[in-house]
Amino acid sequence: MARTAGERHGWIGRIFFADLLAGLRLTLGYMMSKTVTHHYPDNEKWVPYQRHRGHHFMNTNDQGEVNCVACGLCSVICPCDCITVIPFETEQGVRRPKVFDIDLARCLYCGLCEDACPADAIKLGQEYEVSTTNRATLTVHLEDLIAAPRKAENGGLVRPAKLEPTGGQHSVLQSGPSSGLDWWSRIRRPR
Amino acid sequence: MEYVLSLLPLAIKMVIVVGILLLLPLPLTWLERKIAAHIQQRPGPMRVGWHGLLQPLADAIKLLTKEDHIPTEADRMLFAVAPVVALVPPFLVFVAIPFGDPVQLFGTTVTLSLADLNVGLLFILAVSGIGVFGTILAGWASNSKYAVLGSLRSIAQMISYEIPMGFSVIGVVMLANSMQLTQIVAAQQGLWNIVLQPIGFFVFFVAGLAEAQRIPFDLPEAEGDLGAGYHTEYSGIRFSLFMLAEYLVLVALAFLNVLLFFGGWLGGPAFLPPFLWLFFKVGLFIWVFMWLRFTFPRYRYDQLMTIGWKVLLPLSLLNILVSGFLML
Repeated sequence: MARTAGERHGWIGRIFFADLLAGLRLTLGYMMSKTVTHHYPDNEKWVPYQRHRGHHFMNTNDQGEVNCVACGLCSVICPCDCITVIPFETEQGVRRPKVFDIDLARCLYCGLCEDACPADAIKLGQEYEVSTTNRATLTVHLEDLIAAPRKAENGGLVRPAKLEPTGGQHSVLQSGPSSGLDWWSRIRRPR
Repeated sequence: MEYVLSLLPLAIKMVIVVGILLLLPLPLTWLERKIAAHIQQRPGPMRVGWHGLLQPLADAIKLLTKEDHIPTEADRMLFAVAPVVALVPPFLVFVAIPFGDPVQLFGTTVTLSLADLNVGLLFILAVSGIGVFGTILAGWASNSKYAVLGSLRSIAQMISYEIPMGFSVIGVVMLANSMQLTQIVAAQQGLWNIVLQPIGFFVFFVAGLAEAQRIPFDLPEAEGDLGAGYHTEYSGIRFSLFMLAEYLVLVALAFLNVLLFFGGWLGGPAFLPPFLWLFFKVGLFIWVFMWLRFTFPRYRYDQLMTIGWKVLLPLSLLNILVSGFLML
């Protein structure tokens, strides 16, 4: 354990409160340094890394059809039983989901459905603002999943954003220079 | 009629001073929260107004519209009187504080103080001593153990710190040969008292912190062990009166430090009016008080008493002795 500034300077340090002065110098340094707060809903938004497990989305193939073959593996492996899959057969004789519902209020975003999927269909994206004032809208259907945002490139950045009062008060990314990956380097650490 | 007219400048000055003092806590709470935030690398209040400047206004509206609760077991009369009693002394202190040399305005000489008492310093120390009554009454009338403990602590603290505080300014009075604050400032022409009275300043500063019940001496309202101290049971507007009193004591203390030891309005740059220079120094002191608040932890109660009686009191007496010998 390091000695305090007061002890280091002996009795002179005691008399002139070297330890108190060291504390004051430290807090003054912090006071003059930049803040590290993200101005989240108003001006800035942090885009998560690629590995982040957020709002689900459904991949589609080149013909615009969903990749899902309605095997139901995701629904079986789901630990909180929040996926409902009902299959049907198209004219081409392909098995596709008629209903593919995810109850986001129950989902724990574990990503097991993603792992179980044999057809590279269901994925978890980086969207994390799913708050709403109506619980019914938390059950997302197949068309919502197709329309949901895909994985964003360059995750881990703080990007300029704006709070949109419409559509459930979400913070929407704006174009503009990002403060980059090293936003955390502003955190001041005493030597 | 002549007499009434002669009172007009005084009335105007009173309105200005009281108005400013009543509004002062608004920017000060904002400043306090901002300084706290930046010491912890946060931006602080940001959402109400530019950089949260209107936040105190929102807080004030919230406080004023809150339920004014009086506990059933409380002494209703004393409970209602206590915040006012706490608020009066800080206002009285500003009666005797001068803000500058007399100035010529509209052909008449206007003194920049409400009353330039020839015992100004004594008056201020005496009046600020009354402030403890608000604390005692609040703690007693609340009929709550936390409030009583807080007020007991604060009584003991204020009594023991008033003595070194009074002694520490005697050196200043000796140098100025007067207790009039304008005289004390005038005596610092050329050389501020901080150079001649460093020990006196130190004792006054520390004792003042304890008088204003700021960290590291804010035991009367130690949040951790006493709820909120003597105003635990207060809410709404009555609580805001205590807040107001606390901030005014802080400002008065900053004014006294500047007037007694840092040359008052003297020694400013030529382009700045003297009273603005005084306010600048006072603001600097307020900033230092807040900086101290968010740097230091609270002293233990026995340490507080030890510092008061075994350190500050002998130091202030020594200061008087040394200044006396040097002046002879």
